[in-house]
Amino acid sequence: MRGPKMDEVWWRRPSAYRGLFIGLALLIMFCRLLPLGQTPGGLPGPDLLLCLILAWMVRRPEFLPLPIILGVILIEDFLLMRPPGLWTAIVVLATEFLRSRIALTRELNFPIEWMLISGIMLAMLLGYRLALAISFVPQPGFGAMLVQTLWSIGIYPVIVLLSHLMLNLRKPATGEVDKAGNRL
Amino acid sequence: MAKTSIGPEEYQRPLRRLLVGLALLCLMGLFLLWRIDSPRVERFRADLIDTLVPNLEWAMRPVTLASGMVDDFQSYSRIYEQNQELKRELQQMKAWKEAALQLEQKNARLLDLNNVRLDPKLTHVTGVVMADSGSPFRQSVLLNVGSRDGIRDGWATMDGIGLVGRISGVGERTSRVILLTDSNSRLPVTIQPSLQTALLSGDNAPLPPLEFIEDSDEVRPGDRVVTSGDGGVFPAGLLVGQVVLGSDKRLRVALAADFQRLEFLRVLRSHEFEVITDPGGLIAPPVPVPLPDISAAALESAAGEAPTETEGGDVEALGSGLAEGADAGAEDG
Repeated sequence: MRGPKMDEVWWRRPSAYRGLFIGLALLIMFCRLLPLGQTPGGLPGPDLLLCLILAWMVRRPEFLPLPIILGVILIEDFLLMRPPGLWTAIVVLATEFLRSRIALTRELNFPIEWMLISGIMLAMLLGYRLALAISFVPQPGFGAMLVQTLWSIGIYPVIVLLSHLMLNLRKPATGEVDKAGNRL
Repeated sequence: MAKTSIGPEEYQRPLRRLLVGLALLCLMGLFLLWRIDSPRVERFRADLIDTLVPNLEWAMRPVTLASGMVDDFQSYSRIYEQNQELKRELQQMKAWKEAALQLEQKNARLLDLNNVRLDPKLTHVTGVVMADSGSPFRQSVLLNVGSRDGIRDGWATMDGIGLVGRISGVGERTSRVILLTDSNSRLPVTIQPSLQTALLSGDNAPLPPLEFIEDSDEVRPGDRVVTSGDGGVFPAGLLVGQVVLGSDKRLRVALAADFQRLEFLRVLRSHEFEVITDPGGLIAPPVPVPLPDISAAALESAAGEAPTETEGGDVEALGSGLAEGADAGAEDG
């Protein structure tokens, strides 16, 4: 990272991607805060931020260090009136799970990766509901939250495709090295 | 190259695991703290939103403007029908206004006759909706008025016509309104012609259901629903909406406020409710008064103060003020 060679342009650096991620996260939160007359009772849309985090985590975990994920989701917790901390803890758990299995996920082709991510999202939903139930917090209907998770699963390939095409974010090829010469 | 990178990894992995564990512990601690001492964390949340959200206002404005323009454009496209419709409604409204003014005067006279002491007139603070909660599971909006403007938790919030929700969470410059459709909202209401009391409990659906109706046979779709003032949180008699029969055969309320377009909201300043803490003294025979002349003087002075013509005047003034308010409201509409 701090190699003397300047063979890569600045927007290919991890720090640029980190900045980009924070910007995207703020944009997503901002769009959800807009007073665009959310009619009650409508079906909830996908959790774009979660899709983004998981998609990037499978591809380039070094772009999403723990403090950034933690900070972004915690702010989202506070802004969206969720019980603070719980969802953040679950997201951190899921991302660390993926991070420690990066050697495995690199080998997976996309359909299998999609299934893995779907499983993780459903497990996150169940864990969240379970923790809320254990601590006797009143919670919204299971159906609505399940619809949101299914939406997220459905939108995941789109996020992956967009990241791939527009942000050039892909799994490192075999034998690819970073600037310091370490194997990725 | 590979050999040098193995060295640090041997201690990096356990260290990393430790850090993640620590972070998780802190997060669960925060969650537990929220569960145990919710008011403090909620106050922190209000402060955080207070500092974050007004900074977004510059960016919100064009988007809000654009969405407003789209809405307006849609209404321009059928402006002729709308004009006809409005003319018809205006005719009806004139008739209603006349009736309302007469009733208002009659009401003021009757109140005067009965010597009723009214609540001090409700004053209000008007705020602009800055943002909604964004989460599909919570129905709430943020207003741009806060503790700086004297807003307190629990106050009722209305749009021009009906009740919208109540203040829950006040920051320095912002406050959050939990809407009646939120699943945490419970509101004691009276259904008007039959005077049945019920509980309006939000369930994230556009038409919140009525629960605990005393005798649901006496309630018909179309009945007016107003706040009952039970529980001492809201003033009584604020318009909430009309009873409708939901598709699931439950009695629900079509809210009078326009929840599609919440823009300006009124926060009603409720006065402090007095709490009676005195358990009541022992009722004993009156103590014989040793000095009769002093008591006679006291009686005289009390008699001087007793006539309540001033109250009657107050009621009269208030009645005409209300009538004027109705007048102005009708002209606005």
